[in-house]
Amino acid sequence: MKTGTRRAVAVALAVALALAGCGRDSGGGSQEAAKPVGEGKAKGDITVWAMGTEGEKLSAIADDFMKENPDAKVTVSAVPWDGAHDKLATAIAGRQTPDVSLIGTTWMGEFAKTGGLDPTPADLVKKDDFYEGAWNTTVVDGTSYGVPWYVETRLFYVNKDVAARAGVTTPPKSWEELKSAIKAFKDKGGAKWGVNLQPGQTGSWQTVMPFVWQNGGDVVKDGKFTLDSPETVEGFAFYKSFFDEGLAPKDLPQGALEPAFVKGQIGAFVSGPWHITVLKDQGGAGKYDLWPMPTKQSGTSFVGGGDLAVFKDAKNRDGGWKFVSYLSRPEVQAKWYKTATDLPAVKKGWDDPALSGDPQLSAFGKQLEDAKSPPTIATWEQVSAAIDAEVEKMCKTGEKAEDAAKAMQQQAVSIGTGT
Amino acid sequence: MSTSVTTPGRPHRAPEVPEATGRRRTRRARDRVATIVLHAVLVVGLLVMVGPFVWMLLSSLKTEGEIRLVPPTWWPDHPTLDNYRSLFGRLNFPTYFLNSAIVAGLITLGNLMFCSAVGYALAKLRFPGRRALFGLVLSAVMVPGMVTFVPLFVLVANMGLTNTYAGLVLPFLAWALGAFLMRQFMQSIPDELIESARVDGAGELRVFWSIVLPLCRPALAALGILSFLTFWNSFLWPLVVATTEDKYTLPVALALFSVGQNQTKFGLLLAGSVVVVLPVLIVFLLLQRHFVRGIATTGLK
Amino acid sequence: MTAVASDVSTRRGRSGLRLRRAAVGWGFALPFTVLFLVFMAGPVLASLLMSFTDIRGADLRDPLGVNIVGIDNYSRLLNDELFIKSAVNTVIFVLAGVPLTMVAGLAAALGLNSGLTRFRSLFRVGYYLPVVTSIVAIAVVWRFLLQPDSGLVNSLLRLVGVHGPNWLYDTRVALPALIVMAAWRNLGYQMVIFLAGLQAIPQELYEAARIDGATSWQQLRYVTLPALRPTLLFVGVIATIGYLQFFEEPLVMTRGGPLNSTLSVSYHIYNQFGFGNYGYASAMSYVLFLVIVVMSILWFRLLKSDEGR
Repeated sequence: MKTGTRRAVAVALAVALALAGCGRDSGGGSQEAAKPVGEGKAKGDITVWAMGTEGEKLSAIADDFMKENPDAKVTVSAVPWDGAHDKLATAIAGRQTPDVSLIGTTWMGEFAKTGGLDPTPADLVKKDDFYEGAWNTTVVDGTSYGVPWYVETRLFYVNKDVAARAGVTTPPKSWEELKSAIKAFKDKGGAKWGVNLQPGQTGSWQTVMPFVWQNGGDVVKDGKFTLDSPETVEGFAFYKSFFDEGLAPKDLPQGALEPAFVKGQIGAFVSGPWHITVLKDQGGAGKYDLWPMPTKQSGTSFVGGGDLAVFKDAKNRDGGWKFVSYLSRPEVQAKWYKTATDLPAVKKGWDDPALSGDPQLSAFGKQLEDAKSPPTIATWEQVSAAIDAEVEKMCKTGEKAEDAAKAMQQQAVSIGTGT
Repeated sequence: MSTSVTTPGRPHRAPEVPEATGRRRTRRARDRVATIVLHAVLVVGLLVMVGPFVWMLLSSLKTEGEIRLVPPTWWPDHPTLDNYRSLFGRLNFPTYFLNSAIVAGLITLGNLMFCSAVGYALAKLRFPGRRALFGLVLSAVMVPGMVTFVPLFVLVANMGLTNTYAGLVLPFLAWALGAFLMRQFMQSIPDELIESARVDGAGELRVFWSIVLPLCRPALAALGILSFLTFWNSFLWPLVVATTEDKYTLPVALALFSVGQNQTKFGLLLAGSVVVVLPVLIVFLLLQRHFVRGIATTGLK
Repeated sequence: MTAVASDVSTRRGRSGLRLRRAAVGWGFALPFTVLFLVFMAGPVLASLLMSFTDIRGADLRDPLGVNIVGIDNYSRLLNDELFIKSAVNTVIFVLAGVPLTMVAGLAAALGLNSGLTRFRSLFRVGYYLPVVTSIVAIAVVWRFLLQPDSGLVNSLLRLVGVHGPNWLYDTRVALPALIVMAAWRNLGYQMVIFLAGLQAIPQELYEAARIDGATSWQQLRYVTLPALRPTLLFVGVIATIGYLQFFEEPLVMTRGGPLNSTLSVSYHIYNQFGFGNYGYASAMSYVLFLVIVVMSILWFRLLKSDEGR
């Protein structure tokens, strides 16, 4: 670059830094009080963002809402999941948010910390109506900033033929039973791999953490990371053992899981409700059973899904909250399942025969009673990436569970919780 | 290969010195071999290059289950237009297509104008600040795009341009890469041509318009192709600037079908990709014809 | 100097000429420059400032309420194992990928520019197709090609008695596989620019060379390449910039794995922005920027013809 330019940049930099010299407020983390919304029907324009299928199908429900609230007009914009995080982040930064948006459960901590989300009004939504694990995804530093909309949780998908050949007739109750069942899948069931577990990489924490939770471990306890606690390490070690014993593949090519599972080359895998549809597409309908998580101290699984939040920069805050509370009515939740096959986050929503009468879905419903979400810290995306990376090392290179846990803990501590 | 070296193509037109004829004959034979080898290599290369595109085309006619087969198939088992049907049925297609065309078209036109003008100034005109400007342009080419994304959005939001065509178009009219491209091409235009036009009394605009631009046809074609390609496919910026669906562009709308890792609807995605690619290919086909020798070759001594 | 009293009218003429030149030059440059300063220089400056603060995703609504941390973000980079790892990967990618793609792109342009008379457009379009084909389709097909058992690549290798690796899941070969893929994908882009550049070379130069009895190789070496210098410079710089920021291939093919063996600096930056570490990610971007500047200067040195006059 030319010297003139360089000098100009330097000067501008100095001036701007001097002007900007405000600095952070100390403190933070205090509880925020929610304003009440009040009675009456919703009025005015309500703008809503929802990702993917949800965005495409929400208009149908919005029409019902508008029949009940003739003075309100709901405009739903479907947003692609790819880039949704960027879109929300920039919208908050530019104060160009809609009134309501669907927010991935693991993003809540980060977006709540921007101060861009409105605390959930207690007069509108009752915490106890929801699955506890799902509700916790909305709570950041003791304040709730949204409402769970739909949920998903993880179970074992088990190939029936493989299980029959292996002589495994009932779902395993304990870790030991699970291990011997998976072994039998390989030894007697004719499967090349007893089970497929994610060997690290993006999102593998969702499969790993249930085993840690089952053993009484956790990511954070009392505001401190506990990724290297003995309970956690034991959970990791159990997960790792499937790889060490040759029961789970370390380098399965992308897209190879479902065909191999349908053919019985892979005995089982852990996944969420969307795999019901994927397996149907691939000719696997009716060929599998669903097993709940095994129990150690508990039989905990992971709960994910989507939350609905109203923004501070909303033009129609009250209308937004009224729409959100409408979406959490049990009958609307059940209708939403029939519209978009999203599982209800509201417990009473499951009373509908479309859900309670379906054995596969009931299995997910039952698991939801014991399902946990990660801590709602602003840095979760980064901490989880560190966990994923260490899990990969542990599963693929034979790094010891203790060392992986130590490395995770060290990285997590240096990343911090974002307060 | 040696079999085809036998006969040269045409009879000789004029009597020539025997020795020279012999040499010419072997050279012509050699050229012929070279041409055949060249064609063979180019054809093999072509197959390697078009393979995935052909797969995309064929797979857009498959069912979802067949697309996901491992290993994948080439020819569709039961060819169907279902993917296209539901693509056009589910999307407000004309709107998105029109938005994309307006945005990419305007940006491309703007780039052709502004980048060629500034490229000419940087390559052929002497004025104070020229080197600094070129330095700035080059630096801008080199700044990783991600870093300016959020500040640019905040700027555009503060100008009140979110959810407008202006917000989608304005930030990219001055495309640094395009300016650099045009500057490089214009450097190879001989100064003498420009000087002689000036001596003949042509004004600066006239020199630019009737001497420089015609000489730049291949470069303008390249700029048009690259600019249209880049901004037609642009995803993240239109995604954040368009806050309601009526301002979505095609790539944004199509991304709606990619729902996380497991629920991606490949059939729709591939059919959509075919539809998105077509305009880019048409622009390419229209513009690549300008890759011909301009007067640059004849106008020179 | 002071003693020489020059003719007043010449001086006026000279300064008039200078003024005229300035007016003409800026006349052409101004529309671009104005837009450029508003939409590019502003955000660049803002992001540069961000790199000296501890701004995070949570501060976006209140960007002034952050602390200035000086060069902390920059010095932190040296202790970031992933950054070092990704930097090494990126260097390998650039050193192997840029020459590979440029040679391939130039070869394609030369091949399509010479000798071919029929189906010229067809060939051009064909070679350009990978540039426009959706990355999703490309990823599916390439994954299939690179499949360990049934893939085309390993099937071919088996014919010559080589047992091919599990390309995308082996830390030793994943990066080379992506390099080849990137070259395949980008050569059409470069071909377009080379094709345009080739048209600007006066035909007379070739005729003269042929009369002198130059072989095709000599014509390439002594006529085409020197005349193509500005184009080569452009393509070289653009390819270096593109490959230093390489990102899409690992994103769709390997997610940076296995074990970070395909993690690039740009991917790392992308992740850091995703984590909300705006200050740190900006600092990393500007380090990448500096590397790009240095590499580009090398290109300008290497190919300087009438540059910098």
